[in-house]
Parts: sequence; C-alpha cells; structure tokens
Amino acid sequence: MSVVLYRVDERLIHGQVVVGWARRLSPRRIIVVDDELAADELEQSIYRTGLPVDIRADFWSVAEAVSRLPAVEASDEPAFVLTASLSTMARLAKDGLVVGEINVGAIHRGEGRKRVLPYVSLGPEEQRLIDEMERAGVRVVARDVPTAPAVRLIERERG
Amino acid sequence: MSERCGVVVAHSRLAEGLLAALARVAGEQENLWAVSNHGLDGDELYEEIAGILEERGAGRDAYLLSDMDGGSCGQVCRRLLADGRVRGVFFGVNLPLLVEFVFLQVESPEEFVTATVEKSRKALGARP
Repeated sequence: MSVVLYRVDERLIHGQVVVGWARRLSPRRIIVVDDELAADELEQSIYRTGLPVDIRADFWSVAEAVSRLPAVEASDEPAFVLTASLSTMARLAKDGLVVGEINVGAIHRGEGRKRVLPYVSLGPEEQRLIDEMERAGVRVVARDVPTAPAVRLIERERG
Repeated sequence: MSERCGVVVAHSRLAEGLLAALARVAGEQENLWAVSNHGLDGDELYEEIAGILEERGAGRDAYLLSDMDGGSCGQVCRRLLADGRVRGVFFGVNLPLLVEFVFLQVESPEEFVTATVEKSRKALGARP
C-alpha cells in the first residue's frame, strides 16, 4: 500500500505532520484533499514552504481525489492523505479509498462538540461518521504524534 | 551506531520551552533533558549537567546543546567538552536543530555533528 497515513487534522500540513510523522514514515508526497484549498494557490504556496525538499504536496478537490487516489494506492510511492475534517475523510472512505486506519490529529472545539482529548472534540455529526467508518471496517484512532498513545475514538465516545 | 543523548543548556526557561515544543511536533523524547543556568554559578551549572549525564546518559554518546556560544551556558559546555564528558557541543540551539538531533541517522559522532548543523542551518530564513 502506498498511502502510509490517512490523517484528519484541521491544521493540515504543520509540524506534527512534517516532523513527527514524516520523519518516521518517509512519505514522498502529501496529498491534501480539500475543495477550498484546491482552488487557492496562495494558500497552497504557504503550506508548501514548510515542506522538506524531498516531499511534494498536491492539493486536490474531493472529486479529483476520488478519481486519482486509486492510482496513488497502486503506486510504489509512499504518500500521506490529509483532510481538515472527518466529513471529507468519511467521503473518501465511503468510496472505498481509505484502507485500514484513519489517524486523527486535531479536531478542535466547535458548536455542539465535546472535548474527548486535549486535541480532539467531537459532536453528534463526528460521532455518526466515526460509527459509520468503523462499521465499514476502518479504524478511527486519535494520535497527534507517533510517540503518543493511540486512542480509538469509538471507545472514547462511548465512554 | 551508538545511541545518543543530549542536554539542552540555556538561559531562563528556554531549554524547557524548546523541549516542550519539540514534544509537540515530534513526541516526547527520553534522551533529551533541559537545564537552566538560572540561579547557578558556573561550577554549579557544570555539576548539574555532569550529574544528569552520569545518572541518565551512561553508555550513550552524550552531546550538549547550548543557546549561544560565549554566554555562561556556552562556556560551561565548552569546559565539559574539554574534560571529555561529552562527544560534542552545539551552539545556537533551536527547534530545527533539535529535530535533526532526534532523527538524523549517521555513523560517526563527527559526521553527526557536522550534518546536524548543516541541515538545521538551512531552516534559518527570512523574507523582506
């Protein structure tokens, strides 16, 4: 499998991704799936400035990701797939484009959300999406950096 | 390749803050420790660092990472190096340098010191 990390993180490309995860998993590319960012070249250039020279970034809309991710999965090039929200990742999972495990890096507080970890807050919509993905065989696990303990969110939300 | 460890030696709460920031991006590190010179004279600072190295750094290649060369922290680090207590000293420690310190894999201590500085130096930049 060439996608070595599926991650939900509101901050997308930032220190934990570029240092904590990329130094351990050595991706050659980071694919950000986000409709707004895919159309915003200035924001893309800002995200690219923080990347090591041997990692490139692509910014795809959801529709683009649906058509192009199967080829990424079939290639030999290790990649990260990042989304800012669980709903975007769930959309990819629904199309069978997420394999194994989703890593949740940061979902901050918002209306109707309850804090379940210092860096993860979930509301009814997030909980529904986690249940849906887990039922489809995808584990949803919170872990901000590789040295932190992994917390399965379906267990956390049920208390 | 030997296991390595390091002591970040800096003024006020800088060392502690740097390691807290490193933990946020790279996870907790069991081989790096922070020492502040606050309230310590040169001899006391020397003993503080030497004590940590003896207690926790035994059997590993030990390095010091000081905030700046020429300051009191840097001077004590140079003395510890001269006394053969550590394999090397870095000056001007910052977050990119600590990241390289944790992740860089090279064989010899000499190569490690050179490569770490070279890589972290590239992280310094500015835009007008």
